[in-house]
Amino acid sequence: MLEINNLSFSYPDGSRALEDINMTLPREHILAVLGESGSGKTTLLMCIGRFLQPRRGSIAIDGEDISGIEHREFRRRIGIVFQQLYLFPHLTVLENMMLAPEKVLRQPKKEARRESLDTIGRLGIGELGDKYPSQISGGQAQRAAIARALVLKPSYLLLDEPTSALDLNTTREFGRWLVELKETTTFVIVTHDVPFAEKTAGSGFLMADGRLRSVGTLPEILKAIDHHSF
Amino acid sequence: MKTNSLIRIKFGRIFFPVFPAAAALLFGLAVPPTLAGAEVFTVALTGKYPPFSFYSPAGELVGFDVDISRAIAGRLGRESEFVTTEWDGILAGLLAGKYDAIIGSMAVTPERAKKVIFSRPYYLSGAQLFIHRKDRDKIKTIADCRGRNIGVGLGETYEHFLRENYPGINTVSYKGTVDTFQDMLNRRLAGFVTDRLVGLYQVNQGEMPFVPAGPLLYQEKMAIPVTRENTVLAGEIDEALKSLQEDGTLAEIREKWFGAAARETARGSAIPPRTAAEMLLKGFGITLLVAFTSILLGFILSVPGGWILNNHPPLLYHLVRSFNDFIRGTPLLIQLFFVYFGAPQLGLVLSPIQAAIFTLTVNTSAYMAEVVRSGLMAVGPGQRKAGIALGLSPFQVFRFVVWPQAFRIALPPLMNTVVALIKDTALIAMISVGEVIREAQSIISVTYDPMKYYFIVAAMFFLVTFPLMKLAGKIEKNIRARGFTNA
Repeated sequence: MLEINNLSFSYPDGSRALEDINMTLPREHILAVLGESGSGKTTLLMCIGRFLQPRRGSIAIDGEDISGIEHREFRRRIGIVFQQLYLFPHLTVLENMMLAPEKVLRQPKKEARRESLDTIGRLGIGELGDKYPSQISGGQAQRAAIARALVLKPSYLLLDEPTSALDLNTTREFGRWLVELKETTTFVIVTHDVPFAEKTAGSGFLMADGRLRSVGTLPEILKAIDHHSF
Repeated sequence: MKTNSLIRIKFGRIFFPVFPAAAALLFGLAVPPTLAGAEVFTVALTGKYPPFSFYSPAGELVGFDVDISRAIAGRLGRESEFVTTEWDGILAGLLAGKYDAIIGSMAVTPERAKKVIFSRPYYLSGAQLFIHRKDRDKIKTIADCRGRNIGVGLGETYEHFLRENYPGINTVSYKGTVDTFQDMLNRRLAGFVTDRLVGLYQVNQGEMPFVPAGPLLYQEKMAIPVTRENTVLAGEIDEALKSLQEDGTLAEIREKWFGAAARETARGSAIPPRTAAEMLLKGFGITLLVAFTSILLGFILSVPGGWILNNHPPLLYHLVRSFNDFIRGTPLLIQLFFVYFGAPQLGLVLSPIQAAIFTLTVNTSAYMAEVVRSGLMAVGPGQRKAGIALGLSPFQVFRFVVWPQAFRIALPPLMNTVVALIKDTALIAMISVGEVIREAQSIISVTYDPMKYYFIVAAMFFLVTFPLMKLAGKIEKNIRARGFTNA
């Protein structure tokens, strides 16, 4: 369980991005964080991923404050896939995936390779292992980036605007296999793509102006969105 | 070089006291003088002053002064024995009784004459103007050179003399005779001034179309000094010289070293192609050794340097930034001199090769660090974030994510730095490293054929740098194909 208490964040110029956020993100769900651009949802994701330091408040995973968790241990529990993916261009898809298992988990190369191949197989890009990131499509890159994060078997995987670079078809397909994976990993999806959230997420959060506006099931959230004329 | 380190060369007699010689070497002390009246006539000279005294390719001491000494010893009825010693201590050695006489082309001056007895002059020489053969009708004396360029050796007294006495002449100083001769052939110079006999010898040896013009600008009388106590020997040497002059021996020796016959000798001493090739290859080996050692060390230094420049750690950044700016903003040649001549003053005596490698390493690391910095800059911050998100340590992020990309991006400009450095090694000849250009110059100083050998050297450099440039182009294409720029 991921718990966020009284979280506030402001940027160095003093502008407030998050104001007093309280939320609980249970395991084994696909959770959507919805909101307009500038509502603070990506900032929230970066705070959970320890890329931004909150001004006030706390974030805890399974009762443990995230600020006290050792780097490698933390990254094994909470994964993150950035909007721009940031695949390593000098490495093949397979090498991208094997880097963390080998260097962080200290797995033998053979084992890391087997698990990586297994993961991309499940994501339907098994044949792309030896391709470089510049040689694959946007949808394939999206999956490769998620596959790279999944080999560390995180409890939570944070996805920042995962559909922003995908066309309609690919988005639909992406949603389908995401649902298949939710049994092992909890996905926290930050998105402004309401139809995508509706199809994939069970429950969600609505943010506006750095504040949490609504919590509930997706239909409840959609109602709230209508209410906010979103 | 110690002035009292003596090298004794014995002619005629096999029996020579070994122990005093060994003791002299051990303690750096003088061997007791061979006094006048004994059977050996001990003569000092430098052995470094062709054609007066120098070592032949076979390692024998030969020259005009050597022949004169033997002839005098013959007239004295004694065996000649030679001591080669540095010029600046040669008179002190005579006064200390280390040898009987100096037959080393010593000019008679009033200061010297106060300390020693000079013989009658055995030859006259002095400052002589040489001109191109074709100008014989135009330039009769130095006065005809007003407003024109006259070459002189760098650091020789002739430059000072001309400025003092012929202010209307434009003097141009040259590092070596070959350069002077080349500019005479190119007609940049109307003439050059050097010692008459040395000049004649060099013109002969190089088969140059130059001739002496006008009388000596000033005359020097070369004579043989002995100590003031040695009046008997002084008289005997005068007698010997007189008889050598009268029977034509002096003229014969003179003809041998400075006449038409000398030209034949010069031809005989030309460097065979095989030897020249060996010298050039050996020199190029040193060039490449210095270049690639410096490239390797410089590159290793440039990685932390580039990292510091890109990441701005406090203090360290300013240190590296200022150092790099200073290195890149000052001439490499000055840096070389600074290290080679300056380091010994700090108690660090480096060999020429060490000084060259040190300087080139520091110099190239400054340039490479800038290239590495720009390579690191080209890798976006997202790559670092992605590495951190995967649980890699900051070092692992650098090692496995950022550096491999930065290196690929930096490779083409790094190659340019490598090519530039290989060419810059040409400068290390200035601090006496026996690299290829210095070897070429030493060949040219004998063959007087600069264009041929400089072209060969240029071709050698090109053979190494051209594949490197091609390689850089290939790598660049490869990187572009992988779409690195949107990393």
